[in-house]
Formats: sequence, C-alpha cells, structure tokens
Amino acid sequence: MDLVAGRVWSDERRPIRHLDPVLLATSMLLAVVGLFLVYSATNQSLRTLGLDPSQFVKKQFTALVLGFVMLVLVAAFDYRFYKVYAGFIYGATVVALVLVQTPLGASPSGAQRWFTFGGFQLTPSEFAKIALASMLGAVLSELRTSEPTLSDVLRVTMIAIVPLGLVFIQPDIGTTIVLVAIVVGVLVVAGTRPKHLATLAAASLVLLFGAFQMGIIKDYQLERLIAFRDTKMDLQGANYNRTQAEIAIGSGGLLGQGYLNGRLTNLDFVPEQHTDFIFTVAGEEFGFLGAAFILALFAILMWRAIRISYLSKDAFGTYVASGIAAMFAIQMFVNVGMVIGIMPITGIPLPFVSYGGSSMLANFIAVGLLLNIHMRRFT
Amino acid sequence: MMFAALTARLWYLQVLASQTYVDMANNSSFHWLQVEPERGRILDANGGPLVDDRQSRVVTVQQQLLGSDPEGVLFRLAQHLGVPEADIVERMHDTKYFDYQRIPVAVDVSLEDILYIAEHAKQFPGVSWDQQSVRRYPEGELAAHVLGQVGLISATQVEDPAFADYGTSDTVGRTGLEATYERFLHGTPGSIKIVVNPAGKQLDELGGQRPVPGYDVKLYLDAKLQAKVERDLLNGIQRARSIPDQDPTNAVTNFVANAGAVVVLDPKTGGVEASASWPTYDPTWFVKRMSRGEYSERIGSRAAGDPLFDRATQASYAPGSTFKPFIALAALDNGVTSIGSYTDCPSSWAYRLDPENPFNNWAPYDQGLVSIQEALKVSCDTVFYQWGGEFYDRWRANQLGAGSEPLQRGLRGFGFGHEPGIDLPSQNGGFIPTAAWKEQQNQEDPKAFPYGWLPGDDILMSIGQGYVLVSPLQLASAYAAIVNGGRLCEPRLAEQIQTVDGARVQRIGGQGCRRLPYSQQELDVIQQGLAQVVQESGGTAFSAFAGFPFDQVPVMGKTGTAERPGFDQNQDTSWFAAIVGPPSDQHVIVVMVEQGGHGSTTAAPIARSIIEDMYGLGDTGVAGIERVD
Repeated sequence: MDLVAGRVWSDERRPIRHLDPVLLATSMLLAVVGLFLVYSATNQSLRTLGLDPSQFVKKQFTALVLGFVMLVLVAAFDYRFYKVYAGFIYGATVVALVLVQTPLGASPSGAQRWFTFGGFQLTPSEFAKIALASMLGAVLSELRTSEPTLSDVLRVTMIAIVPLGLVFIQPDIGTTIVLVAIVVGVLVVAGTRPKHLATLAAASLVLLFGAFQMGIIKDYQLERLIAFRDTKMDLQGANYNRTQAEIAIGSGGLLGQGYLNGRLTNLDFVPEQHTDFIFTVAGEEFGFLGAAFILALFAILMWRAIRISYLSKDAFGTYVASGIAAMFAIQMFVNVGMVIGIMPITGIPLPFVSYGGSSMLANFIAVGLLLNIHMRRFT
Repeated sequence: MMFAALTARLWYLQVLASQTYVDMANNSSFHWLQVEPERGRILDANGGPLVDDRQSRVVTVQQQLLGSDPEGVLFRLAQHLGVPEADIVERMHDTKYFDYQRIPVAVDVSLEDILYIAEHAKQFPGVSWDQQSVRRYPEGELAAHVLGQVGLISATQVEDPAFADYGTSDTVGRTGLEATYERFLHGTPGSIKIVVNPAGKQLDELGGQRPVPGYDVKLYLDAKLQAKVERDLLNGIQRARSIPDQDPTNAVTNFVANAGAVVVLDPKTGGVEASASWPTYDPTWFVKRMSRGEYSERIGSRAAGDPLFDRATQASYAPGSTFKPFIALAALDNGVTSIGSYTDCPSSWAYRLDPENPFNNWAPYDQGLVSIQEALKVSCDTVFYQWGGEFYDRWRANQLGAGSEPLQRGLRGFGFGHEPGIDLPSQNGGFIPTAAWKEQQNQEDPKAFPYGWLPGDDILMSIGQGYVLVSPLQLASAYAAIVNGGRLCEPRLAEQIQTVDGARVQRIGGQGCRRLPYSQQELDVIQQGLAQVVQESGGTAFSAFAGFPFDQVPVMGKTGTAERPGFDQNQDTSWFAAIVGPPSDQHVIVVMVEQGGHGSTTAAPIARSIIEDMYGLGDTGVAGIERVD
C-alpha cells in the first residue's frame, strides 16, 4: 500500500476534520442569544434590588463555558465507547432519580427535582434525557431483526418506563413529555410498526388515567391544563403567565421594540421570564423577525441532528442522534407553543436559551454527542 | 409542520393581531393606587434623630399564589431564612390579612438569601421581596420606653373612623410617642393614578396626589443627658446590689434593687429632659421580630424583670418622705401650721384618742422643737404625724363630703391621684386615698375597712405611706411647681411638631400650666428646708453630697425611704428628689430604685452622679453611705 496515500487517507478520516461547524455554530449562537435575553429579562429587577444587574448572565455564562468543556470532552472520545457504558450511565441516572426523592434532594417536601452542591443545583432529570437516548440506542442497535418485534418494543418500553415514572412522580410533567418524545422518536427511526406504536399509545393513556385517579397528578398541574382550555377562568392565576406572555409577544409587532426596551419585560411582568418564558423577551424586543430568527436557528439545529442521524456509520449513532433530535424538537415546540398560547403550560425550558445550568450542560452534552457521531462517520 | 404551526401563530400574534396586543399593553385601564407616606421622625432637643426610617429588604408571601403545596413552600422558606416555620405561619395569620396581600414575613433579609429565592423562583411560588421602610433607632436602646413601637394597624383600628385614611397593611404607632403623635407622624397617604394592564400590573403613572410625609416630633428630651441618666441609673442599681441590707427582718444580705427610674424635668415648661426606666429593652427586637424563645428570654421571663414596663410613668409607689414638702404646704395653706412656728419632734408620737399605739420617728431620739425647714431637713416623721392628725380632726369636725378633705385637695392640686397628662398613651395616675374610697370599698366587700376613715390614714399619708401611690413622673412634676413660683405645668415630652426643615407646625409643650394656692413666702420656706437637707450637716442627704461643690451648682433635695410590703424581700423603695441649678435655670431630678433601701444610700448617690454629669463636674467625691431616711 502506498504509505503516503495511506497517511493522507487516514489523515482525511481524522475526526477533527469532519466537525459539523454549522451545528456547533448554531448551538453556540442560540446560547449567546440566550445570554442577551436573560440579561434583558433580569437586569431591571436586579437593579431595583440594588444588585449586580448582570448577576444572572454571569452565572449563565459560567454554565455556557462549562457546557462547552463538556461538549469537548464528550466529543473527544469515540461515541461507540458510550454504547458499552450506556447501561452504567442509564443505571446511574436511575439511581440519581431515586436519590433525589430521598431527603438528599433539595426539598424535603413539595416537588423534588434537584440536588444542591454548594451554590449549584443539579437536576438529574435533565441528564436522564440523554441517558435514555443512549440506552435505547444501545439496545435497539443490537437487534438482529430488520425491525423491532413486539417483544423488543416491550423491552424498550420497560427500560424507558423506569426513569419516565420517576420523573413523572417528582412531579415534572414537562420532562416526562420530553422523555416520551425521545422514546417515540427512537422507536420510529428504528422502524417500529405503526400497530405497535398504537398499542403503546393506548397503554400510556390507560396509565395516565390511572395516575389521575390515584391523585399522583397534582391539582395545580390539572389547573394549568384546564386553564389552557378555558382562558376566562382565572386571569390572575394559572392564566396570568399566558396572558402576560401573549401581550408581550403581540406588542412586539414585526420588528420589536428594541433590545432592553420591552416595557412588559422591563416591568417584570411575565413570571419565570428568564427561564421558561424567555421567548417572550425575544418576541417583545425583537418582534416577529427576532422570534422567527430563533425558530430558524432551531430549524437548523434539527436539520443538522436529523442529517447526522442519517449520516451515522452505525445504528447506535443513528438512534442516539434521532433521540436527541426528538428531544430538541419537542422541547422547542412545547416551550414556544406554550409561550405563544398553542400548548399548555408545562414548564419546559427552551434549549440553550432559558436560564438554567443543568439544562445548559445537558444540551451541550447532547450537541457533543451529535458532533461525535458526525466526526466519526468515516472511522 | 411544527415550525409551520409556530411561525403561523407568531405571524398572527405579532403581525396580524399585533395592534390588539399593543393596545392591551398601552391603553389599559386606570386605577388609583394608595401610596403610604413616609413616617415622621422623633428628634431630641438638639434635633438629633431618636427614631427615623431606614430601608430594609423584606421577604413577603402572597398566600393566594403559594400553589398546591403551601406548607412545602413555607417550610423551604423557613429553612432557607433560618427561622422557625411556625414564626412565618404565625406572622401570616397574625393580623387580619387578606389572601392577596403581600405579607412581610421576614425583615433585614440578606442579599444572598433574596438572590437565592429569586434564582429558584419555582421553589418559592408566591414568595417575593420588597424594599420597605422600617423604624430605625440611631441611639439604640436609648429612651426605648418613651419612644414606643410601631406595628401593623389592628383590625379594630381599621374599622375606626379616625383611621379612615389608613390601608389594611399600614403601620401605626402602637405605644409611646409613636402612638400619641400618630396623626402627625403618619402623614397623608397619596393616591396615584396609574395605568394598569389587563393582568393588573402597573404600566405608567399619570399624576395624582403624591403622599405627604409625616411631621417630625421634636422632644425636650436631650439624648446626651438621657444617655448619662440611663448609665448612672444602671450603675447606681448595680452599686445598690453590693450594699448589705441591715434590716434584721429581711432574709437577704444585699439589696435586690430589681428596677429603677429617673425623671428629669424643666420646671418652667414641664418639658421632660430625660426619662429612664430600668430594666429596659432594645426596640429593634420588635422590628426584627422575636422567636417565642427569644421573647420569653428577653421579655417574658422572671429574670427579664418586665423590661417593657416604664417605671417612670406607668408605675406608682409609696412616695415616703419625698411627700413631706407637699404635706407641709397643705398644712401651711390650711393653717395647720404657720411660717415661723416650731413643732415638737419626739422619737414617737401617738394620736390623742389612741395613746396605746404610738407612731415612731425613723430616728430613735427626741430632736426637740423644730421649724418647718428643720422638719424637712431631718425628715422628722413625728412632726408630720401631728399635722396628719390635725388634718384628720379637721375632716372629722366638718365632713363636707367627698373631695372636700383639705389634705387630699391640696395633694390633688399638685397632680397626685390623677393622670399627669403627659403625652404618652399609658400613664399611671397614682392614688390618693379618701374616706369616700374606703366607704366604697367597704360597700363592695363588707370585710374591707369596717371602721371607715381612720386617724392613721391621714397620719400615714402625711409621711407618704399607707395607701398613697405616686409615679416618679408625678413626683418630679410636683417638685417642679415648688421652684416654678407655684405654677404646675403638665409634663410634656414633645416640645413641638415640626416639618422636616424644622419649621414649627404646632406647639406642644409649655402649656396647661396652672397656679397653685401657695405664696412665694411659703414656697421659699420649703425651698430653704430642701436646701438644708442636702447642704447642712444633719440633713438626710448631707453625707450623700459630702464634698459636693454647692457654690458651683446649688442643689436642693429630699430623701425618701418608703416601705413597700408585697415585694419579694419587703425592701424599701429608695427615693431622691432634687432641684438643681441657679434659679434662672433649674432642673428637677427624681430618682427611684425599687428595693433599693434608704433614699440616702441608693437614690441620692444616683442623683449626685447625674448632677455631676449634667454640669460636667467630674467625680466630686465618693458619696457617703449613711442610713438615714
């Protein structure tokens, strides 16, 4: 073999040369847009308190840097190793989800979703999304048949139901929906028959009904779902967020009111504005164009994720990439849909944009995985 | 498809229907917003603030928005703020709050704590924070009893038409000067017209009436003098606790001296220049709110000694011999005695109809004939017994009905037996017993006072014992009349109400003075006696003022040692009333120490320290400890 040609050939296959710059740039751009929006959403209220107006942005920036470090780390090692360890990662996540229910979790009563380390919170359910996508990918990629049999589907369901159930009883409806989307996404890409998917859907409905009956779903969650249907019911309560968000976005118009000029944003109108309702800031201050720009960034993100799923050298990569694509898609859709009033209020952050460290880390790990799969599609 | 749905909706909201939302955001409804005014300050005589406002970060809870798990939220909040959850719950149920009110549950919360709550808003639904004015006490514990407390308006006050201006979460003065001058301090609430969007959030301000800040209250009280007085009182109390009580009937070895009070008055105006009561408390305890444990330790416990109780104005005691000048004046006014006459001062004296039960003088030897001045100087009980017996005979001879008893009428004239009218919401009027009172008691309980008004009642009253009770403030006010040409002025803490710039709005002090029926000649006799008490050998306070430079600062005074059955150890109440300074600028000082022993051993040295401090004399010598009345 021609040594020079061989070296060139292997050089050409070096993973770093096959980075997906579009994906990397898109995700970083979203995160940077997020920093600006978080500043706009928080600087006024922090200033009135006599605090550093960029306090939240600084924390978010730290999370971004940490996220980028995680991205590099995750991308550095061949993703196929993760397939070997998928079981461990999955197991560890389940243990964390169980532990967060114990007094180790930050809140001894009420919703238990996070651990506190020093000044930081770690929300295991954010990482459960990626762990589940990897685990399902690992299991489904080992199938000998061309499409999953009913027993495979059941096995996958059994694997998924453990973290799903643990997140559901926290209670965290939003993350539950995301996890379900990941399961469905991976199953569809794996070629599951529509008949089997329908069976699964029917079973979930029965389970959901049971959960209501047993009172696992809390009143306020029900209230939010009802409020979504009947907007006249309660202006101050559950629908307050929705009304405020719609007014903020609607008053943005085509071009918006200008950065830091959103009146409703500045007057601290929309609750949870730096987290779940961050999209309102974009809508009010940058108008339809700004909001559409963010949607476009997400569209690019999803296009790259789906493309990577196609390009992947092996089934594991395909499934993991599709799970991540499904994750970003459902989060973006449910979050933006909730903010503009076409989805119920469920409490899902907008990936990369919403304020929150755990979510930021998990999203960059996911991008790291996507880059990893893309980079090593020839090796 | 997803993107199409989202984009379509965005297009609808932001382009097609945008005007509707812009209108909703802009042309929302108008509301009138009540704005609480800034509360006025309480200033000392030199204009220094004793109470003003400061901004505090408070954490508030809106019950309505607590969500599905209110206990959980409050538990987390309590844990985070490091306060017992019961305190927060108690605070929320404390007053008549409505569900939608933002109830302050913690003040002076650190920035870190608020930041944590802000960052973890999802853990704390309904929890918010605010900058609020809270009362600040630049001089700390100084004059705590006088200044009083503010608190949330009570449910009954909300209903009261006098508080029509007030909102349901307004602050009002609850005690002390804060309560007396509430209507001046509070100011006028404003109402501002604001634009509110459909969800009730304020968008813009469209004028209206800004709140008018409250007026300041300027006091006669001098913060520097007050600080000295408080320190001297505490030192004196501690000193008394090291003095052995040699009364053989008492089991303890030292004086208990559990409490004390001092009042300093300007006789010309009745202005209170200092008013101290010990034990005292820190008013900031109430601003920050105490836990149950802290409350019982600082206030509720026996060891705390009832620190909220103002012994200068709210307590009354038997005055003992400090009462004698007023008995002497009543005797002069009624012709019981006369200027220049001499009365025998034996070691004991018995009423003529009851020779078997003599009344003893505190000194166990006969002092011969004494003048009125000398009777005051040596505090001869037997002289006053004789005058008391004479008053009894007068009453017996012509019973003209209730209120006509000559002795009691004279004492009432000095302000005893009724509230002194100081500008405090709660004050003790003391007690002057009468035949009518005894009769009434007897009617209510036939076992009480079956013999009616007795000679002993008048005789004991004439040495300030028996049923007589006076407050330190009343005594100071009455002494002021002796050097104010017989004019008695109602005591006042406040000199005037003024604006922030110091312009007078209303005069408070120097009013309500009235002339008593005593000639200057009669008053001079009493003053001569009071001067001898302190300045002449044989006077009961002579040893306590040994070495004092009277040529620099003239001092008159009267000791008092009042028996007070009912205390733990039955130790005497120690009194000293002093009049100091040149005639043009005199001050009355009354010192009282509960269970402090003789007037000359405990109260007089405290008065001496105060005088030394007032005139910058330094230490003029160790006050002698001679056990005389």
